[in-house]
Amino acid sequence: MKYRALYSVTLLALVSACSSVPDRNTALESARSQFNIARNDAQVTSQAPDELKRAGEALRVADQARGNGESTANIDHLAYLTSQRVMIAQETAASRASQAVTASAAAERDRLRLDARTSEVNAAQRQLAVSEQNNAQKTADLAAAEASAARSQARVERGDQRVNDLEAQLRELNAVKTERGMVVTLGDVLFDTGKAELLPDGGKNIAKLAEFFRRYPDRTATVDGYTDSVGNANANFTLSERRANAVMSALINQGVAANRLTMRGHGAEMPTADNATPAGRQMNRRVEVVFANSGM
Amino acid sequence: MKAQYVTNRARTFAVTGIAAAALIGLGGCASTPPPSEQMAVAEASVQRATTTSTSENAGVELQVATAKLASARQALISKDYDRARQLAEQADVDAQFAELRAQSARSRKAAQESQDAARALREEISRKSAAPIK
Repeated sequence: MKYRALYSVTLLALVSACSSVPDRNTALESARSQFNIARNDAQVTSQAPDELKRAGEALRVADQARGNGESTANIDHLAYLTSQRVMIAQETAASRASQAVTASAAAERDRLRLDARTSEVNAAQRQLAVSEQNNAQKTADLAAAEASAARSQARVERGDQRVNDLEAQLRELNAVKTERGMVVTLGDVLFDTGKAELLPDGGKNIAKLAEFFRRYPDRTATVDGYTDSVGNANANFTLSERRANAVMSALINQGVAANRLTMRGHGAEMPTADNATPAGRQMNRRVEVVFANSGM
Repeated sequence: MKAQYVTNRARTFAVTGIAAAALIGLGGCASTPPPSEQMAVAEASVQRATTTSTSENAGVELQVATAKLASARQALISKDYDRARQLAEQADVDAQFAELRAQSARSRKAAQESQDAARALREEISRKSAAPIK
């Protein structure tokens, strides 16, 4: 400082020794207006106050030089320094403003990333909750389906059992599946020749049939009587009718409702065996109980 | 450290110069002392500003500073000390200006890129949130 003061004094002495007095300097006025623009620029005053101050200092020095009547060349020079100092302040301010923009953009990116992350986490949690709910629902549905399947299985088994029972009972009666339905044939051994009264042995089969009707109350049947071809056709028809009637009556006696039974005599029609042999004729003398095919 | 050393040395020169100038100055309208301090400051500033980045972003300004420093050296050799001092002072501010102009260009570019990146991220996020997360 001491040196500088000495230096200044020396300069001053030198300058005053050989100066002229210019009244106006274009470069200086230009620098002044530049400085004034910068001084009124909020970006410069806020971002580069020190640099602006230095520019102001340079302007003051230039003004002082002019006041002291220094050479135009020297004032031009000082005006140039002022201009450059103003531009330095402006560039500094611009640079710092850009850095602030960079920082805030970076902050915004961080905030966006955080927001995105947060909403992703939230979405994932919502999704998890939904999944858990779905899983619970599916588990419940599955359990219900299994229970339902078990019930269906039980029903099927019961149904199978029922069908099995039906078939077993009819099998016992030597039932035969035909186009007309299940046919149970009661042979002529049930009757004395030419008679229509059931023999006591036939009672066992009648009881089985009656039991079948009781077990399956929706079943109806036709009782058909047949004879062999020996003798008068009319007589045979009548006999066949009487025998069918005897079987039907026996069933009714065993408790089968009359409206579930119909009866027909067929005489020697529809033989099941050859009437030329005694064995064939015996097979033709019969009563058939025909259960219609419905749902069997 | 080096700059400090240079400055100290410059001061020594300056003192010597001032003393000499004072002596001569007493004799009337005479030449100024050699502007050793200004020269040292200008050398340091120009050296500091001479970087690849400044050449790229403020090439013309840097060339002006370098040219003025060269002229200042020339004036010093020619013992035109007034001219040398002025050129040195100008080379100093020119170098500083070049450096700051380059820096502000870089900062502006970085700000632009940063804003672009933020915008891209914003768009990406809005696209993502529009579509359901898989």
